[in-house]
Amino acid sequence: MTVTTRSLVPQATPHSDTLRLPGDPGRPLTRSRGASRALRLAGAAAIIVWFALPFVPLVLWALAERWSYPAVLPTEWGLGGVVSALAQGGAAAFGNSLLLGIAVAALATPLGALAARVLTRDTSAGWSPGGRASILGRLGRRIATVVLFAPVVLPPFAAVFGINVLLLRAHIPSLVGLVLVLVVIALPYTAFSMRVAYAAYDPGFEEEARILGATRARVLWRVQVPMLAPALARSAFLAFLVGWSDYIVTVVVGGGQLVTLPLVTASAASGLGNDATVAVLALSAVIPPIVLLALVSRAGTSSKGAPA
Amino acid sequence: MTADRRSGLLLAAALLPVAVVVVGGIGSTLLQSLGLLPVVGPARLSLDAYTAGGSDLLVSLGVSLAIATAATVIAVVLGASAALLVVSGGRWGRAVAGVSAATVTVPHLVGAAMIGLLIADSGVLPRLLGIPADAWPTLVGGPWWAAVIAEYAWKESAFIGLVVAGTLATRVARFDETASMLGAGRRARLRLVFVPLALPSLVVSAAITFAYTLGSYEVAALLGRTYPEPLSVMALRLFTDVSLTARPEAAAVAMVTVAASAFVALGAFAMLRRSAVWR
Repeated sequence: MTVTTRSLVPQATPHSDTLRLPGDPGRPLTRSRGASRALRLAGAAAIIVWFALPFVPLVLWALAERWSYPAVLPTEWGLGGVVSALAQGGAAAFGNSLLLGIAVAALATPLGALAARVLTRDTSAGWSPGGRASILGRLGRRIATVVLFAPVVLPPFAAVFGINVLLLRAHIPSLVGLVLVLVVIALPYTAFSMRVAYAAYDPGFEEEARILGATRARVLWRVQVPMLAPALARSAFLAFLVGWSDYIVTVVVGGGQLVTLPLVTASAASGLGNDATVAVLALSAVIPPIVLLALVSRAGTSSKGAPA
Repeated sequence: MTADRRSGLLLAAALLPVAVVVVGGIGSTLLQSLGLLPVVGPARLSLDAYTAGGSDLLVSLGVSLAIATAATVIAVVLGASAALLVVSGGRWGRAVAGVSAATVTVPHLVGAAMIGLLIADSGVLPRLLGIPADAWPTLVGGPWWAAVIAEYAWKESAFIGLVVAGTLATRVARFDETASMLGAGRRARLRLVFVPLALPSLVVSAAITFAYTLGSYEVAALLGRTYPEPLSVMALRLFTDVSLTARPEAAAVAMVTVAASAFVALGAFAMLRRSAVWR
């Protein structure tokens, strides 16, 4: 499943610039005309407003020094919100969130790729040379899939209440436990994303490299990873997002030791009169993922790797 | 080591953390709720934690289910419309895809702050529309949980839109053109091409949305009213309560939430098994 804007929308077909008979309107048959076209444009405009509207207060409040009610625009522009956000520990929280996201991405992406590879590979007959029954089998694969995707449907705070006790009794430091739980939450997303990529992946390249004498490690680094690079980037982005956005696990398992951006935003938002601070903190929590998403999409469409 | 055994071991290594956290975590919560892992005192099997709050637990369950249902329904309708617009193509389709992709990256807590800034009594929306504060309905902390439902619906509609559009992208154009060539009108194409192709991923993403909304804490805590509280807010309040005997009650609330989410997931799975597109 690709999430780039270009891949979701069908491009003009490559046949459009070849033979065209006289009278051929040159447009696809399903293109909307007249009233339905107006309806489509109006619907698109409405949906765009629906998605974009909550971003508006963010931008306005972030640049507002003072905005008394009921003015439509801020009465005084300025960077007071930025000063106040920094004073409340916004910079340190930003750095902590970044580190947490990177740690979760670094761990969850290889694990997810591993799980996806095993789950997709096992279906192809070529990998059971002796004809013996595979240790996984259909039931094993079913169970593995259920376990792997359980964190998506189960509420995180339920597992966190229990795992907190286990981590404390095992004397595992809270930061390690926090990263562990977040990796587990991110694993279904990375595994699913890599599973789609592995399904479109041709193992013939690997076999060719092995025939030509490459070692297993060389095959991994020089053949597999470059071909899967766009999918790996997407999975890493999803895992980063899990670590970046998390609140409840950081509060309960982290035990207040790690102050991340959502924690600072929540404490600012539960107070009164902090609107500019909240807007600046929220903006700083929103912009990095969007920048990363743009980078990942660009890398995905421009690379010549496996279509993913 | 055969290839099978190695792949089995690798898979087990990847799944071990998941098994520990999911099975161990939820199992430990279950034991806590049954009184078998008390913070103080001897372990004693009892169901007191479930009945301690009286009817509060059922009221909270009702609130959580209502919020989740409303948010999921709105998100499905808007997400399916967004997906339809995205696969219809063109500049507007790309714009919808871009804006919904940006929305998906927003953390839920930050989204709650954004919605709060937008539709609170002194928010940006009443100011833009020129409606005075006393004429504006109480959406944040109000009786209908409107702001909470709006935030969930907003973010999850973007998620559903992108998931459905992603699964449709490669498949719908050919069927659509064929149907149009055979004479199907717009409405027939919608009914016979778009809906059947979109339905499996729509069901999956709707189930994920429902389960997520049921178990989510941040948005309800920030934008909701203080009483009655949804299950997640109640669970965390009991967990961080000063009296340690409230811990088993928090675990009991958590187990009720797990049961509800598992029920929804199984229902969606059962619905999907009957469809031919199960991967």
